[in-house]
Amino acid sequence: MSPLLEIRGLSVRFDVGDATLTAVRDLSFDIAEGQCVGIVGESGAGKSQTFLAALGLLAENAKAEGSVRYRGREILNVPRRELDTLRGRRIAMVFQDPLSGLTPTLRVGRQIEEAARRHLGMNARQARAKAREMLETVRMPDAEHCLDAYPFELSGGMRQRVMIALGMICRPDLLIADEPTTALDVTIQAQILGLLAEMRRELNTSIVLITHDLAVAAGLCDRIMILYNGRLMESGTTSEVFTSPKHPYTAGLLASLPSLASDPATDLPAISGQPPDAFVTTPGCAFAERCLQVMDRCRIERPVLAAHEGRHAAACHLNTK
Amino acid sequence: MTGPLLTVESLCVDYEQRRAGLFSSRARTLRAVDGISFELAEGETLGIVGETGCGKTSLGKAILQLVKASAGRVIWRGVDLARTDAETLTRLRSELQIVFQDPLSALNPRMPVGEIVSEPLRVHAPDISAKERQAAVAAMFERVGLRTEMTRGYPNEFSAGQCQRISIARAMITQPRLLVCDEPVSALDVSIQAQICNLLRRLQRETGISILFISHDLSVLRYMSHRVMVLYLGRLMEIGRRDELFDNPRHPYSRALIDAIPEADPNQSPLGMADALPGEIPSALDPPSGCVFRTRCPIATPECARERPPDECIAESHRVSCHHWRQARSQ
Ligand SMILES: Nc1ncnc2c1ncn2[C@@H]1O[C@H](COP(=O)(O)OP(=O)(O)O)[C@@H](O)[C@H]1O
Ligand code: SF4
Ligand code: SF4
Ligand SMILES: [Mg+2]
Repeated sequence: MSPLLEIRGLSVRFDVGDATLTAVRDLSFDIAEGQCVGIVGESGAGKSQTFLAALGLLAENAKAEGSVRYRGREILNVPRRELDTLRGRRIAMVFQDPLSGLTPTLRVGRQIEEAARRHLGMNARQARAKAREMLETVRMPDAEHCLDAYPFELSGGMRQRVMIALGMICRPDLLIADEPTTALDVTIQAQILGLLAEMRRELNTSIVLITHDLAVAAGLCDRIMILYNGRLMESGTTSEVFTSPKHPYTAGLLASLPSLASDPATDLPAISGQPPDAFVTTPGCAFAERCLQVMDRCRIERPVLAAHEGRHAAACHLNTK
Repeated sequence: MTGPLLTVESLCVDYEQRRAGLFSSRARTLRAVDGISFELAEGETLGIVGETGCGKTSLGKAILQLVKASAGRVIWRGVDLARTDAETLTRLRSELQIVFQDPLSALNPRMPVGEIVSEPLRVHAPDISAKERQAAVAAMFERVGLRTEMTRGYPNEFSAGQCQRISIARAMITQPRLLVCDEPVSALDVSIQAQICNLLRRLQRETGISILFISHDLSVLRYMSHRVMVLYLGRLMEIGRRDELFDNPRHPYSRALIDAIPEADPNQSPLGMADALPGEIPSALDPPSGCVFRTRCPIATPECARERPPDECIAESHRVSCHHWRQARSQ
C-alpha cells in the first residue's frame, strides 16, 4: 500500500535579491494513512515551507524541487487548478494565526456555509445545518452565538475551533496543523490538543502537527520527525525519539527543556551556539558547529537519513560508524 | 537586610477604554491589576504566571512606575515610589530595570548595540568618562556571553538570542537590584531558551539581584523561581514557595494550570486534556462577580458568585484566594 503522502528529495529555495536562501534541503519521508506525525524543529528549520510546497502555497519567490505524491499521484508543482480539488477537500490546513484563514468581513456561519456549498454541493438550508453541526463537532461553546459572530469577536481558541471546523467539513484524509496552539494560553492549548486527538480518533484523519514544542508533539503524535536547517535529523516513533534519541541535536533539545521533574538547583544543559544560517550550505553535518560529539568526518561528509523506511534513524555519523 | 526590598500593597491598575459610538463616546474602565499584594526579598526570584490578559505585564510596569497605579502602593527600600520626589525617583530608577519579550523590537535599530547598552549609564551615571563607560560596556558584554567586538554591530545583525543578551546587558549595566523579566524567553527557540535561563540565574548568583520573572510557561517558571504567584483576570489566586505551589497547589486554577502543561512524555495523552479546564477566559472589561475564576471553576458554589474570596494566609508565605481551598483537590 502506498503511503498517504510520499515526499522525496524535496528542496525549497527562495530568491532574495542576489542571494539564495535554502529553506528545505533534500527531504524524504512518508506520512502513512491514519498516522499523526509531529514535525518538530526550531523557527526557520523549514517545517512550514515543506508543507506549503507540498500544497502549492509557496511564495512567489520560492522554487520547489523533488517529488511529493498524494496517494501515488504527483502533486508538486502541478497547476493550481489540479490542487484545488485536493486542498480543502482531501487535505486541510490549520495555521497558527487563525485570522489569516478567515475572511474578516464575513460572519463565521456564512464562511462555513460557503465551504459546505462549495465542497459538498449543499443547498442553503443544508449548509446552515452543516455549519451548526461542525461547530458542535469542534465543541464550540455557544455554537449558536458563534454562527453570527465575526472572526474578530471570537477569542483565539474559538477562532482555532472555527478553523478546525472549516478544515474538517469534508472529512479530509489529512489535516496539516501548523503551530495550531502556539498563540494560545496553556489551558486553551490543552483544549485544542484534546480536540485534535478526538477528531483523529473519531474520523481517523491523519494529522501532521508542525510545532517547535516537543512537549506538544509528545502527547498527540505517533511518529516524530526532527528538522534542523531544512534537513531531517531524526525520525522514529514518538517513544523511540523521546526515550532513546539517536541524534545529538534531539538529545540536546530534550535535555535542555525544563520540565516539572527537572531539578531547579542545577543549570539546564543548554545547547551552545546558534542555529545555522539558511543562506549558507556546509558540506558536512549542519549541527557540527554545536555538537559536543563532533568528529573530523562530520565537517566534510554529510550524514544522510532516509526516513521512508519507517525505522528509527538519525542523520548522524555516530550511527553509521 | 531587614524587611523586604520591595513591598507591593493592594496595587490596582486601570485603563480607560474608549468606545467611539456614532453619537457618544463611552469610556469604560478595564481593571488590569486588581488589589495585588506581595513582598520580594533580596536575591529572590518571584515567578508570575497566568494567561493572556491576567495583568502580568501591567503589574510589572506599575512596579517600575512605567504605568500609573490607580490605587495601592509600591514601596522600594522604604520609599513609596509614586509619592516620592522626582529626584529620588530618578535615582532609584537605576536600581529597577526591565527586560522585554521581543528582544529585537526592544532595541533601537539605528544604534550600534554597544551604545544601546551604554545608554542607561549616560542617564544614570553622567559623571563617568567615555573611556570608563566603554570599559563597563565591554565587561558587560563578556558577562552576558557576547564578544566585545560585537559592540559595533546593529541589532538586525544579531539573532534573537543574542538580542536578548544585549537587552539583559543594557538592563544590568546600571547594577540594578531588581530586574523585571517580562516573558524573556517566550520568543526564543527552545535551544536558546535554556541559554538565557542559565544566564539570568548566573547573573543572580553573581550580583544577588532580585527578579520578577513573568512567564506563561510553568515549566520555565518553576525552574527560575523561588516563589510563584498565580494571577487570573488581574487578581492574585495563589502565592507560595515553588515546591509548595507545584506539589501542593491549593487553588483550583493553579491545579488546572499545572495539569494543562504538556510534558515531553510520549505516554501523556491529550484526550481528556480538553476537560482539564473547560471554557474561555472572560473579558477583563466584564469580569464575573465574586470570584473571577468561578465561570471555569469545577468546585464553584453560589457563594463564589456572591462574594469575592479574601486572600487567606494558609501557611507561612502561602496565600490563597478561594472560598473552598480546603476542598480543592491537592493531588
Ligand atoms: N517569502 C520568503 N522569502 C524568503 N525567505 C523565506 C520566505 N518564507 C520563508 N522564508 C525562509 O525560509 C526558512 C524556513 O522557513 P519556515 O519553513 O517558515 O520555517 P519553520 O516553519 O520551521 O519556522 C526561514 O529561513 C525563512 O526565513
Ligand atoms: S554527524 Fe557529527 S556533528 Fe553531526 S550530529 Fe552526528 S556527531 Fe554531531
Ligand atoms: S472561590 Fe469558588 S469559584 Fe473561586 S476558585 Fe474558589 S471554589 Fe472556585
Ligand atoms: Mg512555521
